[in-house]
Amino acid sequence: MSNSLYSKEKKVGEGTFAIVYLGRQLEGTTVKRNVAIKEIKTSEFKDGLDMSAIREVKYLQELKHVNVIELVDIYNEKGNLNLVLEFLPADLEMIIKDSSILFTQADIKSWLLMALRGVHHCHRNFILHRDLKPNNLLLAPDGQLKLADFGLARSIPSPQEQLTSNVVTRWYRAPELLFGAKHYTWAVDIWSIGVIFAELMLRIPYLPGKDDIDQIDVTFRALGTPTEKLWPEVSSFPTYNKIKMYPAPSRDELRKRFIAATENALNLMSGMLLMNPHARWDSVKCLQSDYFTELPEPTEPSQLPKLNKKD
Amino acid sequence: MINTTTHNPTEKEAVPDNTSKMPLPTPTVSTPPEPPAIKRISDDDLFRSSSQYRIWSFTKEQLKEKREQLSSKVSALVREKIERFLAENNSQLSNEEINEIRNKAIPVNAAEELQLITLYAQKIQLFGNKLRLPTEVVATAVCFFKKFYLETSVMEIHPKEMFFTCLFFACKSENYFIGIDSFASKVKKPKDSILKHEFRLLEGLKFTLMNHHPYKALHGFFLDIQMVLMKKVDLNYLGKVYENCKNMLNASLLTETMYHYTPPQITLAVLLTEDEALCLKYLEVKFPKTAESSNSVGLYEKVVKIIRECQKDLSVSYIPSKEVAVNIAAKVHYCDDPMVVVKRLKRKRDQQEENATSIDKQQKSS
Ligand SMILES: Nc1ncnc2c1ncn2[C@@H]1O[C@H](COP(=O)(O)OP(=O)(O)O)[C@@H](O)[C@H]1O
Repeated sequence: MSNSLYSKEKKVGEGTFAIVYLGRQLEGTTVKRNVAIKEIKTSEFKDGLDMSAIREVKYLQELKHVNVIELVDIYNEKGNLNLVLEFLPADLEMIIKDSSILFTQADIKSWLLMALRGVHHCHRNFILHRDLKPNNLLLAPDGQLKLADFGLARSIPSPQEQLTSNVVTRWYRAPELLFGAKHYTWAVDIWSIGVIFAELMLRIPYLPGKDDIDQIDVTFRALGTPTEKLWPEVSSFPTYNKIKMYPAPSRDELRKRFIAATENALNLMSGMLLMNPHARWDSVKCLQSDYFTELPEPTEPSQLPKLNKKD
Repeated sequence: MINTTTHNPTEKEAVPDNTSKMPLPTPTVSTPPEPPAIKRISDDDLFRSSSQYRIWSFTKEQLKEKREQLSSKVSALVREKIERFLAENNSQLSNEEINEIRNKAIPVNAAEELQLITLYAQKIQLFGNKLRLPTEVVATAVCFFKKFYLETSVMEIHPKEMFFTCLFFACKSENYFIGIDSFASKVKKPKDSILKHEFRLLEGLKFTLMNHHPYKALHGFFLDIQMVLMKKVDLNYLGKVYENCKNMLNASLLTETMYHYTPPQITLAVLLTEDEALCLKYLEVKFPKTAESSNSVGLYEKVVKIIRECQKDLSVSYIPSKEVAVNIAAKVHYCDDPMVVVKRLKRKRDQQEENATSIDKQQKSS
């Protein structure tokens, strides 16, 4: 944990609670590898160390997996906390948005598989991510996809715990969160992955609500307003009787919207996007989906499309 | 989580499966596209990758040695400091005062440190409960505190200084946020004194904040016991057993068991103490002696052996008597500031003189 092992080269980004640098991990005088050094602005917080930083440290220390960003080291320098992370120069959002990049069904399957493996690893360690979105799925130079940004993560709550529903970036927010549920589970992460799956197939955001109210409308217009029959508790949410009732899309409508999707792909996506969180598929069921065993096989990570280098 | 792992890496022991993790599906399935040769990840593997196992689990010998090393390192520094103090103040100090310092400002040893830490850990529990903090938050504060003092001596930072920092930081780490203003006013301490050591605490914890407490395991076992021994146990009675076990788990935080056993093992040991017959009956059902699957043969004996060991360790208390506690605290205080010894001596002398003169006066007036 000595800071002499690392050098900060240049600033590459700034988040809400940290400045991110490209750094080098040094071994003696030789450069071992590039790293990202996230310097937490410790001194700026009146309540001491920031909660997001605490969460990131707490959970990344427990999660070692190819599909979760690696926390290489942590050190203290001049009263500031520095997290040394794998350097991951691209994310899935950049790939989706870059219209010069073509990608195939096999590529989508590969990214989705890696994302689900990462999520599965979190969940089996009793950790919820709570902010899954394309921009937090980072891509390593070898093609591996890694879950990053654990600033909103938490341990899987026990049944009586009260939680804040103000989590997850709007477009990827599960219906129970839209209703302001005080209790929720791993199913919120699965929903996000389902929306990301749809976005990969459509290449545009699937449920782009303009604000929190609109998000409810957009979500149910696309997927149908949940009924008591499918989700018995739903009518107990205070906002439930204020919302518009939309019919659920028929299978044919889904087929038309997701032209290239196979039946298995649609099954998986629909399983991840079930309104009732108790019925929604868990990570194991998703990973066991026939979608992953039918052809085409998922692309080898190293063969996946990459960002075109600007320099 | 956390089933057959013991902290002796060469030996594998077992406790029942699937019980301590009720809210989650059994996450033991590997993903289909992986080649079949890949080994499935068991709950044991997961526990072995946790920081609680990797960094904070020790054999009894390791733990003892660790404490002794820390104590002898810091004691040597303290002795040096006292000799320096004596040398620097040589001209002002009488022989009596020098002797008094040498007699009283003695570094505490490893056993005494453990007693003092345990005492303060208990105070953290009492205080946390008074603040009505959730059980897990209090447990985490206690664990933070204990772990911190595995790396730092009470002679370097006094437990009083870390007390509120541990509670405050545990709240944040367990997602039970209380702003510093409101926390400071609740505990009636200046903000800065709480925040000042936060970073030091984080470093002392080696940046690992996850604590797997036995309460989840307790919950899981009780759900499972209800299933497994359906109709054979009275639910009201079971509720009482649960409460007693929970209290014993609170007490277990003041023992060494967290360093040597997994949370389910500690939980079963507590259940064994509370109702031995119930615990053994449950284990018999979970690990039938005439099991057809060969890998559960002998498991029952193994589990019972390890939880009996744990039970023994649970009964060892490190909480000092009041007298001993005062003695240890005094040593720490004198080592921190040897001048206190001199001041006390002076005060004692003055008092004796005063007494003497007042006796004189009384005698004269009579
Ligand atoms: N591991 C990494 N490798 C390379 N760049 C990174 C890494 N982590 C973060 N960055 C860059 O730093 C920026 C800020 O990161 P972060 O503090 O995580 O942001 P936010 O608050 O937006 O989540 C990111 O947008 C990204 O450009």
